[in-house]
Amino acid sequence: MFEAGVRQYRETYWDPGYEPAETDVLAAFRVTPQPEVPAEEAAAAIAAESSTGTWTSVWTDHLTNLERYKARAYQLEPIAGREGEFLAYVAYPMDLFEESSVVSMAASITGNVFGFKALRALRLEDLRIPTAYVKTFAGPPNGIQVERDKLGKYGRPLLGATLKPKLGLSAKNYGRACFELLRGGLDFTKDDENITSQPFMRWRDRYLFVMEAVRKAEDETGERKGHYLNVTSADCESMLERAEFARELGSPIVMHDFLVGGFTAHTTLANWCRRNGMLLHVHRALHAVVDRQKEHGIHYRVLVKWLRLAGGDHLHSGTVVGKLEGDRETTAAVLDLMRENFVPANRARGLHFDQDWASLPGLFPAASGGIHVWHMPALVDIFGDDSVLQFGGGSAGHPQGSRAGAHANRVALEACVQARNEGRDLIGEGPEILRRAAVSSPELAAALETWREVSFDFATVDTLDPALA
Amino acid sequence: MRLETFSYLPALSVEEIEAEVRSIVERGMTVGIEHTQNPDPYDHYWTLWGLPLFGVADPDAVLAELDACCVANPDAYVRVNGYDPVRQGQAVSFVAHRPDGA
Repeated sequence: MFEAGVRQYRETYWDPGYEPAETDVLAAFRVTPQPEVPAEEAAAAIAAESSTGTWTSVWTDHLTNLERYKARAYQLEPIAGREGEFLAYVAYPMDLFEESSVVSMAASITGNVFGFKALRALRLEDLRIPTAYVKTFAGPPNGIQVERDKLGKYGRPLLGATLKPKLGLSAKNYGRACFELLRGGLDFTKDDENITSQPFMRWRDRYLFVMEAVRKAEDETGERKGHYLNVTSADCESMLERAEFARELGSPIVMHDFLVGGFTAHTTLANWCRRNGMLLHVHRALHAVVDRQKEHGIHYRVLVKWLRLAGGDHLHSGTVVGKLEGDRETTAAVLDLMRENFVPANRARGLHFDQDWASLPGLFPAASGGIHVWHMPALVDIFGDDSVLQFGGGSAGHPQGSRAGAHANRVALEACVQARNEGRDLIGEGPEILRRAAVSSPELAAALETWREVSFDFATVDTLDPALA
Repeated sequence: MRLETFSYLPALSVEEIEAEVRSIVERGMTVGIEHTQNPDPYDHYWTLWGLPLFGVADPDAVLAELDACCVANPDAYVRVNGYDPVRQGQAVSFVAHRPDGA
């Protein structure tokens, strides 16, 4: 018999004895309930409102089998040193989500519940995507190994740079900036995320001049080069039109901003890249709005997981040492989530669950933002070979210009890789390795002199929690 | 003309090549040697010098093969590759020898 009225969420959605199934999607939430709301009720409300529940009983509940479809809050933990906050673990049956759809997952798990009045704040800390669900996604269009094989670049990080100033150059001058960096020794140059198709430089003009620069730099150096042509557009038709033109011009790579473009547009572009053998560089404008505050939002590790499922060959990761937020352990975990096939749970790194990627290709993390040549030893140590290190200001800011700046970065990179391969300690001996390499490179010597005192020593906002005693 | 990894450093000495070879085999990879007279960034397949040196862990043995390849192909660019059976692909490549004057 149907009993109308309001019941407490925990009667239906709090199930502390529940043993999660291998096929469940698991979520770890940081919950800050309103002071009068018990933790169990808050956790149950999250499970309910992000799955089958609503605020009141409805007769149509009895037309389905809630036991099969409801999410369950199954575990609660206090957080050491964070009064009033809890970790709530929620299990979602896989059938709640559409196959191959990040959009479906995001709409459910990060939907209404984040605005729920009974909660002061809510943050999605981590998500476990079960293997059976992972297998419905195509993932990175190429992956790390295929990109290396296509470009013939092995045994070192790749080097890139964002062209500066990011706004206001004409297409021809922009191509010049690109050419100087590529011939100097970088592998890639990049459109800044602000660059789409403004009055000062329309996309078609930019693509034509940039691709001339890419081809000429390849002829001159004997190495493959590329420029991340941003195809992020106002609509999907324009996005695909730009991608098609990039392909016609022989560009090996295009770029998309996955959060501002949205997961639907992004997945469409990733599918197009896969069909056309095109590399896909992924930028992350908007992410810090969503992921930087400790109490509320979505942690970047979750956005990374969604992007690896939807597809991308490069994704920005933070640098640890540069001008942008991100501590070393959190970043290390993000690198693993991008590159490894299996990432074990590790609470000290903020990883709440094992994540098996089931042979989905890995992608290159891109380190970008306020890095310069003195950071090179630490970057090679932190990021290893499978990464793209991007020196925008750190190349074009060289006293002899972009070519010399790019050259200095390439010499520093190769010296660090060689030193590491010879068993030397990059952190302890870093400055000495760079100075020795500068003996045969006046470009590197000038770069070392220019940036010798620049550092970005600010406290991290989003810190990891201490382990529970 | 630059040719990828280490081509922005001064030409590698024999000792430096040996250290790189040691690093490849110590990471469980197999060394392969290949050569060409016409390097082209769009050409993925240079000519193999025999088969990759499966099971060879002694850097001196690799250097002897490298030397033999250079003697037999004096006008060629010769590169050393590392094949990683775990990632099922190539993970290392650098040019160890260039023709005189190149």
